[in-house]
Formats: sequence, structure tokens, C-alpha cells
Amino acid sequence: MENKKKNNGVSNDHLGKDVSKKERKIKNKESKEVKESNPFPKDIILSIKNASYRYSDAEEDDYALKNVSFDFESGKLYAIRGRSGTGKTTLLSLISGLEKCSEGEIIFDGKSLKEMNLDKYRNSDIGIVFQSYNLLPFMTAVENIILSMDANGLKIKNKKEKAIELMKKVGLKASYANRKVLRLSGGEQQRVAIARSLSYNPKMIIADEPTGNLDKQTETEILEIFKKLAHEENKCVIIVTHSQNVCDTVDKIYNLKKVQEK
Amino acid sequence: MFILKNAWISIKRNKGRNILIGIIILIIACACTITLAIKNTASDLIDSYKSAYDKEVTIGFNRENMMKDFDPSQEEGRESAREKFDNVASYTISDVEKFADSDYIESYYYTYGVGLNGNSIEKAEIESNSDMPNGFGHGKETNMSSTDFTLTGYSSKDAMSEFISGTYTMSEITDNAWDIAFHGNYVFINQELAEYNDLKLNDKIKLEDEDGNTYEFEIIGIFKENEEENQEPMSMFSKSVNTIITNSDAVVALTNENENLKASIYPTFIIDSYDHVEKLQDEFYKKGLDENFLLQTNEELAESGVSSVKNISSFSTTFLVITLIIGGIVLFLINMINIRERKYEIGVLRTIGISKLKLTMQFVSELVIVSVVALTLGAGIGAISSKGVSNSLLANEINSSNEKTEEINKNFGGMNHGGDRGGMHGKGMPVVEAYDSIDAVVDIKVLLELLSIGLSLVLVSSIASMVSIQRFSPLTILKERS
Repeated sequence: MENKKKNNGVSNDHLGKDVSKKERKIKNKESKEVKESNPFPKDIILSIKNASYRYSDAEEDDYALKNVSFDFESGKLYAIRGRSGTGKTTLLSLISGLEKCSEGEIIFDGKSLKEMNLDKYRNSDIGIVFQSYNLLPFMTAVENIILSMDANGLKIKNKKEKAIELMKKVGLKASYANRKVLRLSGGEQQRVAIARSLSYNPKMIIADEPTGNLDKQTETEILEIFKKLAHEENKCVIIVTHSQNVCDTVDKIYNLKKVQEK
Repeated sequence: MFILKNAWISIKRNKGRNILIGIIILIIACACTITLAIKNTASDLIDSYKSAYDKEVTIGFNRENMMKDFDPSQEEGRESAREKFDNVASYTISDVEKFADSDYIESYYYTYGVGLNGNSIEKAEIESNSDMPNGFGHGKETNMSSTDFTLTGYSSKDAMSEFISGTYTMSEITDNAWDIAFHGNYVFINQELAEYNDLKLNDKIKLEDEDGNTYEFEIIGIFKENEEENQEPMSMFSKSVNTIITNSDAVVALTNENENLKASIYPTFIIDSYDHVEKLQDEFYKKGLDENFLLQTNEELAESGVSSVKNISSFSTTFLVITLIIGGIVLFLINMINIRERKYEIGVLRTIGISKLKLTMQFVSELVIVSVVALTLGAGIGAISSKGVSNSLLANEINSSNEKTEEINKNFGGMNHGGDRGGMHGKGMPVVEAYDSIDAVVDIKVLLELLSIGLSLVLVSSIASMVSIQRFSPLTILKERS
């Protein structure tokens, strides 16, 4: 079974806890069929193969992350769960191309990240959402979204209209468009961050504790947005979290364990 | 476009910091413009001043060569040196003409001296202990110190360097003196000699050679020697008291009349460039110049005339360098602070996929936009200010040049008369007319220099941004922020 893969010296455990077991079975069946004919099945958008990461100043066998192998499919909402220090954020930075694997590789849409222009990858193929939103505080909500479009080199006439449309999509009023992001609440800022990550229509959204700073109600609303993006827009959404609420919402959960706990 | 757009947004957002950077660059630009303008003006002034000087070459003793075996502690050494001085070759006008026939020489003049005794006049007694030869062409036969007078013939007014330098000053002169001075037996005598012998203008004097031949000359001018500089200590008279000045033709006529009369010639060659002196010297040696002689130039003298301007130019350069160093350091530090303040922004921009190159270009563009505005303003302010500074510099130089013109005219008897080669400006006279306009001070050259200095400074001070952007890890920045 896919979610019970075990590697030598594994530091990770694929629980693959599907919300709908029936759905999971169907998917697994489909997946198996694809795998038999194609080493990189069409619906798998991201594949992590034995990825390990060691900080440059760490000792030889001091890994922050070791031999992690996960697959992610389009149209699904994933959670990567683990206690502090298990390498969740490290894994996220590897997936988002902010760091490079020390060993192993990550394959996005059939291409190894090692062969890709990671700047282009970040401003075209994936959208990143952070716990602390990482918006530019001196810009308005709409400017933050347009900045991301500009970084992508998106050539559309009415960027502002498109940005406002995205804001509406994530549940923000159009009247917030010209408001400096610092004057928005945490939930609203996170919605702007999500809107920004959607500005160039990426295939995958990666979110690092996106609801970590939010109350339950807002968390549920944000998760609903992610769910819609996965299920209605066929995006692969990966959420790094240790929130039970998030884990209850996602389609699949990958658990990370500390390297020492293996 | 994205880079420029973002750069412009950042400039507007960080008005305070950019105004501060702008002010610093403006001050640097202003200082640079003034300094470059002064430097260029001074450089033009120096070139023009030098071109106002003839590039002169004279023949002098190669003292190093002559003294190389000289050991003052031994009688033999002293003897050998004396012999060398006594036996150096003497040269004639035809030798000088032969030397002057060179591609490097534009023109030449000379003084031609001969020793004579008094016939109708008496030598003014002076104390002299010098028995050393005193110039080119002094052969052992020509022992002028043994005669009462030295009759020095100048080939042209340009050759009369003592008047030009102010060593001699004409105190009395006949109205037509300069019309006839170079065409016959006319002389200028020392004021002390005139007083000693009770002589006045238009009087005639008789001199005789050692063979008893007499020669008559008419006095057309009386000069005095600048006592402060030239009077020998413990002497009643100035050194030139027994020097009688005439023209070289008159001396040539004397030597033609009496072949035993040996004359000394002191030629001055006007050359095309100081760079050719060595080649000219080799040519002279090939044409028969004794190796105990060498060529000497007036380059140092020409340089000394513009030493004050050179000092200003050198001060300007030092000032410019210090301004650039201080300005560069301040800009670098501001950029460092700027980068530290904007670390988070860099992290976010890198995370959303803006490349290091684009980010670096954005930061540099911000600085370049501010710099171009500040440089333009600075150049304008500098141009206006440099006008005043340069005018002041020019005014001083013109004043000093005018004083010198007047002084030389005074030395020649206070008359503004033309010389053989285009008037009095042949020697030591800066051409000041070229500097009565200030329009060319801040010209395109200055602006281009300013632009290249300014942009280089900006780029160098941007190194902080460039290096930091390359080194920053977006994840680390964002983690720190969290």
C-alpha cells in the first residue's frame, strides 16, 4: 500500500489517512494502474524521492530530514504533520525550491527540481502561503497580488481587476483592495496571501501552518478555500501543520518523525 | 519594466532615505563639478601658459662628466679638472648654424661675447675672484676676465634674457634705440659704468683689443642691474658693470677685423617639443659637440610659472579624491542600512520567485535613478559655483600675467615695442586672452567625467546590496521575521 512504504532508516511514516476510504481505494486502484504503465503517473504532480537534507554546517550524519518519499496528486488536499523539529518546514522549503535536497530528488510535473529554474518554478508552478503571511506591509492588498503577477511576467490588461476578483474568491471584500495589509486582520492578511499565491494560477499550493495564527472560525474558512482549490480547481494543496482541525479536513496526511525517533 | 516600476515604487516609499542619498550625491556631484572644472581650466591654463613659452634648449657644461675624476683632496685631481675646463672645445657661429640645422629646431638666437679693453673709457674696478670659465664656447684663448670689458652681442631681442627675466632694467634709452640696436655699433652700458666715466646717451665710446685695434660705439641705452639679486657681496659695483651690450653682428664684424680676437657664443635653440631633447643631443654630438657639454631646457622655468595653478589643480584633485572616498563610504553605509532594513522585503520577493539578478538590478536602479537626479542638480549647482571659483582663479592669473608684462616692458625701458619674433610675448608671457570667457569651464568633458565618476561611485557603493542579495537565504530571512 502506497501509504505504508518503508525506507531503510526511515524517518517518515506515510499514514495516508484518507478522509474517504472509498475514494482512497478508487484512487489507489487508479494510481496503481497508471504506475504500471508510466513511472510518473499523470495525476501525480509532485514526487519526493528519498529526499534528505542536512544543513551545510551540520555533521555528516546529522540530517534535518532523511529519506523522505511522498507523492502528491493534483486535485487533492494534503497535510504534512509532525511534531516540532521533525523537518516539516525543511520539507516545505525543499518542495518550494527555497532549499535543495542534500540527497534524493523532488520531481515536479515530470521534471526534477534540480533541472528547473527555481525562481521560475516559484513564480509560475507553485504558490506559497506562510503562517506569517509574508506580505509586503507597505503595499496595499491589491498591490501585493499585482506584485506577484508582475514577478510571473503575467501579461494581462486589467491586473487590478483580476486581483480584486481573486480577493473576492478568497472571501475578501473589494473595498479592502486599496487598504494597506497592516490594516487588515490576520485572517484577512492570510486570504490576501492565498489570493497572491493564486495570482498566476499555479498547479500546486504549498502552505506552511497557514492557520497557525488564526482563530477556529477563520481557520475553518481558510481551510474551506484550500479545499475548494483542490477539489474544484484540481490543484494540489499541501499544508504543513500540526493542527488536528487541518488534519481532519485534508484528503491525505503524511506524518513526519524526528530522524532520531526512527 | 517590472524592475523599474518596482524601483520607482520603492523610491517613493522610502522618500526620507532617498532624499538623504540624493543630498549626499548632490554634494559629491557639486564638489566634483567644481573640482573637475577647476582641474580642466587649470590644465588648459597650464598648457596655454607653457605654449606661451618657447621651448628653449641651451648648451651647458656636463658638470657630472667633467667632474667624474675630480678629487678635491689631491692636487692631481684639481689639475685634471682645471685642464678639462680649459680644454673644452670652443664653437663659432657656423658651428651653431650647423647645430641649428635640425628637424627638431624651429629657430635659434645667440649671444656673442668678446673681451676688449677700454680706450676712451675706464673699467669700473670690481673685485672678482672668479677665474672659472662661465659658458659654452669659452676656449683658453678667450680669457675675458683679463680684459677690461665684455662686449656681449645679442642676435635678437629674444636673446636678451637678462632683460626678460628682470636681471637688467633699462633706465635710459634713446627714442630710436630698438630700431637701430641690432644694426651697427650701438651699445647699452651699465648705469654704474656710465656714472663712473660720466657717460650719457648718444655719447661715443672707444674700445680696443689686445692688438691695439680700436672700435667705436654709440651709447643708445643705459641699463641697471637688479642689485638685490646680483650685486656681489663686498663689492661696490654690480657684476655687469663692465658688460657692454651690443648686437651679434657688431661682434662678428670685430672678429672678422681681427682674427686673433676670440669670441664666446651662447646659442639658444627653440625646439618643437621637450620630448625631442635627447634625440637632439645625440644629433649635436654627431655634429661635433664636445661630450663635456649637454643640452639644457627651460622646461622647469616654464613649469615654475604655473606652479600656483598647478597647486590649485593638485589641491582640487586631492579634494576630489577625499570627497569621493568619504562620499563612497557614506553611501556604502547607507546602502548597508538600507539592505538590513529591507531584508524582509528581499526575502518575500525572493520567495515569490523574483531572481537575485532582477532584485539586484532593482536595488541598483533605485540608486541610479536617485543619483541621476542628484547628479543633474549637482552638475547645475556646480556649474554655477565653478564659474565664480574659476573666474576668481582666472582673475588672479590675468592680474599676475599683466604685472609680468608690465615688468618686462619696464625692464626694456618702459616702451611697448615689437620684437624680432612677434613682440614681447616670445618669452615668459602667458596668453591670457584665451581665458576671458568662462563658458567652456563646465563643458561636455566635465559632464561626462562627472557622470562616469558618479555612476562608478554609485555602483561601488551598491556592492553592499549586490553581495547581500546574493548571500541572503529567503527562508532564513522569513524565519527570522517569524
